[in-house]
Amino acid sequence: MSMKTAFSSPRVRLIAVVSTALLAVASLSIPTVAQGAGVFKVATSAAVTTWDPVQSFSTEAFYMTNIYEPLLWKNPDGITPEYSPALATSWTSSKDGKTWTFKLRAGATFHDGSPVNSAAVKASFDSSKKIGGAGFIWDPLKSVETPSDDTVVLTLSYAAPMDLIASSTYGAYIVNPKALAAVAADSKYYESGKDGGSGPYTISSYKAGSSVVLSAYGKHWATDKPDYSTIDISIVPDGITAQQMMTSGQVDWSTNIPLTSMATLKKNKKYSVITYKSPFNYVGYFNTLRAPLNNPVVRQALSMALNYRDITAIGGQGYGTQARGVVPAGIYPYDPAIPQYSMARAKAKTMLDRAGVKDLKIKITYASENSAEARFVPLIKDAFAAIGVTAEVQGILFNQQWAAAKKDPANAQDLFIVKYWPTYSDAGVDNLWSLFHSSTKPFFNLSYWKNAAYDKLVDDAIELSGSDKAAAQKLYSQAMMMLYTEAPGLYLYDEAQVSVVPKKFSIPKYNINYPFSAFFAGVKLS
Amino acid sequence: MKTKLAGLSFLFKDTLTTIATVMMSIFIGAAIFAPWIAPFPKEGAGQTNVDNIYIGPGWHHVLGTDELGRDLLSRIIYGARPALLIALAVVGFAAIIGTLLGLIAGYRGGWIDNIIMRVSELFLSFPPLLLSLVAVTFLGPGLVNALIALIISWWPWYARLIRVEASIVRSKPYVEISAAMGVPDRIIIVRHILRNVTTPLIVQIAADLGTVILAAGSLAFIGLGAQPPSADWGLMVAQGRNLIFDQWWISTFSGLAIFLAVLSFNIIGDALRDHFDPRIARQ
Amino acid sequence: MRILWNRLSSALLVLCAASFITFTLARVIPSDPALAYIGPKATAADSAKLRITLGLDQPIPVQYFKYVWQTLHGNWGYSLSTKQPVLQEIINRLPATLELIFFAMSFAVIFGVAMGVYAAKYRGRLQDSVIRIMAIAGVSMPAFWLGLLLQMLFAGRLTWFPATGQFDIDLKYENPISKVTGFPIFDSIITGNFAATLNGLHHMVLPALTLSAYSFGLLSRMARANLLEVMSQDYIKVARAYGLSERLVFFKLALRNALPPIVTVTGLSTAYLITGTFFVEQVYNWPGIGSFAVNSLLSIDYPAIMGITLLAAVGYLVINFIVDLIHSKLDPRVWMR
Repeated sequence: MSMKTAFSSPRVRLIAVVSTALLAVASLSIPTVAQGAGVFKVATSAAVTTWDPVQSFSTEAFYMTNIYEPLLWKNPDGITPEYSPALATSWTSSKDGKTWTFKLRAGATFHDGSPVNSAAVKASFDSSKKIGGAGFIWDPLKSVETPSDDTVVLTLSYAAPMDLIASSTYGAYIVNPKALAAVAADSKYYESGKDGGSGPYTISSYKAGSSVVLSAYGKHWATDKPDYSTIDISIVPDGITAQQMMTSGQVDWSTNIPLTSMATLKKNKKYSVITYKSPFNYVGYFNTLRAPLNNPVVRQALSMALNYRDITAIGGQGYGTQARGVVPAGIYPYDPAIPQYSMARAKAKTMLDRAGVKDLKIKITYASENSAEARFVPLIKDAFAAIGVTAEVQGILFNQQWAAAKKDPANAQDLFIVKYWPTYSDAGVDNLWSLFHSSTKPFFNLSYWKNAAYDKLVDDAIELSGSDKAAAQKLYSQAMMMLYTEAPGLYLYDEAQVSVVPKKFSIPKYNINYPFSAFFAGVKLS
Repeated sequence: MKTKLAGLSFLFKDTLTTIATVMMSIFIGAAIFAPWIAPFPKEGAGQTNVDNIYIGPGWHHVLGTDELGRDLLSRIIYGARPALLIALAVVGFAAIIGTLLGLIAGYRGGWIDNIIMRVSELFLSFPPLLLSLVAVTFLGPGLVNALIALIISWWPWYARLIRVEASIVRSKPYVEISAAMGVPDRIIIVRHILRNVTTPLIVQIAADLGTVILAAGSLAFIGLGAQPPSADWGLMVAQGRNLIFDQWWISTFSGLAIFLAVLSFNIIGDALRDHFDPRIARQ
Repeated sequence: MRILWNRLSSALLVLCAASFITFTLARVIPSDPALAYIGPKATAADSAKLRITLGLDQPIPVQYFKYVWQTLHGNWGYSLSTKQPVLQEIINRLPATLELIFFAMSFAVIFGVAMGVYAAKYRGRLQDSVIRIMAIAGVSMPAFWLGLLLQMLFAGRLTWFPATGQFDIDLKYENPISKVTGFPIFDSIITGNFAATLNGLHHMVLPALTLSAYSFGLLSRMARANLLEVMSQDYIKVARAYGLSERLVFFKLALRNALPPIVTVTGLSTAYLITGTFFVEQVYNWPGIGSFAVNSLLSIDYPAIMGITLLAAVGYLVINFIVDLIHSKLDPRVWMR
């Protein structure tokens, strides 16, 4: 008909052309862009909150440990010696633990060529103590003296393990004094991607939220030069995207791969899946201000309702181990003799009845953006239901969860689920103190627990840990026993760090003391 | 109006509409009768079954199981509840609030009209969904907050619609005469204005039900809507996202549920509109 | 001219109020900026210090005036989580989103209108039914679900397309695109870097398809409905009666009168795409405004959220204005509204 002829017209032709073009693009075998020599491509979800090494207190540690160096690195658990020299080659402490002397490495320089000397160390520590994000780690520090260019003397107001503190992943970097002066004048000095470090890599380019490119610093003091002169890191918000980029060949290595993918990746012959201990663990706080949760028997009963095996299996997807209190395995002062609760629901029910608890309703809050918590909190709800306790689960953004818990303890949640880790590898001064030491204004003690005996144990132990670690350990263990018997918290599981490494690369082992970091200088083709 | 709708036959006027009507009935039926229809009702409601995680679609679990071992089909059936609840609540409240304000604005005119319309325009100046996203971010994630956020975004459409209709009817001669004769406002509004406003209102509501389900699903997908262990479809798509390449069934079937629900509402909305506006239907 | 002034002044009013609403929401509901700014273990002392640094301790009207003043001077604040100037982040990310929207809309307009017209031609027949189903499916489909499906099927199983990203990472080392306009695919065409163009288009297919679904559905429904309505008008019948060829009637009369509303709908659905990009960019890890918006919302980065809201409101206003302008050119009666 005439309509049909009207249709063999520009419109149809246009459609035909466009569809053919699209099909052509789709089926075109795009020539694979050849690998840039010496470039190691990484995908991660580690965001850069700040490039300021003194302020840094978040996931940018992933990059920082390649750009900056502390005086010494702490080696992974079980390796001797305990520390590796970095910018300091040797160190000693006085008998009372209140004076520490560090000898600096000769020939170490910052990326602009200026020498790493005692003045730089003093400037860095002073700055960190005063305004650092993790500045509180320098609490014991009274003064820093610089008797010579290569010697630093730390005088403390009380004994403390300065070797441990100076190896911290936050707040302990040695920064170029010129950079420290620049940022004092302009607080945004670093944010365009500048650095004042001495490490094996320097920031070559930075696109916020998108990519970081590191390039090797030629004059780094290490005799073993990195195999890869350029590290190209793409920042992706989701672990599944990072994983897909690795499996499709877009990048050489990805971190933060979701635990749910490990089962499939294990079957893939191209990758090795390696499990490490990590300093992260999951803990729940009972609101000890609210009846009947102020009764330790009730808390013990609730602790016995949980199926810890399932919670670890589901939350950790088969990786992770049930926690012994709040000190993660592998971190001082972990004690394997501390007991754990196990599932005993009949007994729990009896205990509740004897305590006169009927129709208990509990409000559980957790961080909605944490996928592990989102997975295992329903199991806690079911566990409580099995002993006759009704739980209401509320997942909100951690920011709001925390704000609500701090604001009004009496009316806040009944059970606060959180993932915690120590700022540096001392869970005595951190976890045991931060999570359960009494405080007038709750910060991380979100069980609002006030126990003077516990406080004394922990305070004394902290004081001793600078001079007599063994004695301190004894006191810590007593404190941890108290946490078990009083049960102000629900001790869930220690999270494992699972790394997926392509077999063609040899990547440095995960170091529990630098839980957010990757060390690119040691990446080699295997 | 009664005579127009009494012929619900328009719901079956052609194959597509019939299918949509059947789908919508299934959807509403699932929401109401979930505990009786679902093959594993306890799991649908949220009870975990750790031994059964990640089972693919098959004999025992028709659509497979999710990351906590819960039967996916049961979860999807239970998911009809939050979906329907949100759709009815948001559209219901938005329509009520919007209609009230629109009526007042259209009938009274003058500065009240101006203010109400300015405020509506203000809310409408945001791209759709953006205001809801921002509101629910600050209120905090959760079903109720998502409801509030969506109602905030939706009422202006109704206010504007009703106001236009109301002012048209208001200026009609028989209404002016009634007002002049001293008939109370209340009665004029109900007898004349509402009667004429009902048809476009119903068409808009039908069209919006689907859109609201889509919007609520989008909020849940980002993580700002319903939270676990709710069986919200959008939430389930998000939970299955990390597993999309291997345990694909979780996101696929949850999203399919959203799609089919919205599709059936849209098709029926179309049929309603054609039914009330014969000019288009004649084609 | 007066009408223009009216439009502009009401637009300004709208922007002011929009910013005020977002501002109030951000201040009324408490959340600690220290978490996004410093990190998850930020100390209480730092949090208190930060409130003073960010000026959050001042009375709200003072804060609001400062905000308005700075915004008008181009200082849209600094993102809490990345410390970058918000305006800079937006400018950096806008090209990626605009390119995505361009390709999505082009596809939607070309295919949507074409299919709608085709369906109108063969109305009542199989082609019509198929296209109508496709169209209504398009507007009913959740964008995030479609994105995941396409990703799983065409990138995961079939590996025909890349699953994420705007370009291969190797591209910046092998065939870097020189910046001319800032729009990468267009710059690559202008500078003759066709390897990059192909790579960019290859990455663009799935996200653009996903984003175009809604507009495609909308436009094809509109096109079909409008054309049918126009074709039933009296003047068409008259033209036919006068013996004008069907081809003439169709293209010169019917289409020309059916198209103007389509312009409006195109404009409106482009505006809808603004929030559509949030989901599509998140699924495909597209480095544009959408993924920036989602990340800002989830980290409660209120300066970034306010910047995005402002941008979206401005964009929406601009699009509506342009649409009205074009519409008035095609149909002068519109200005009289």
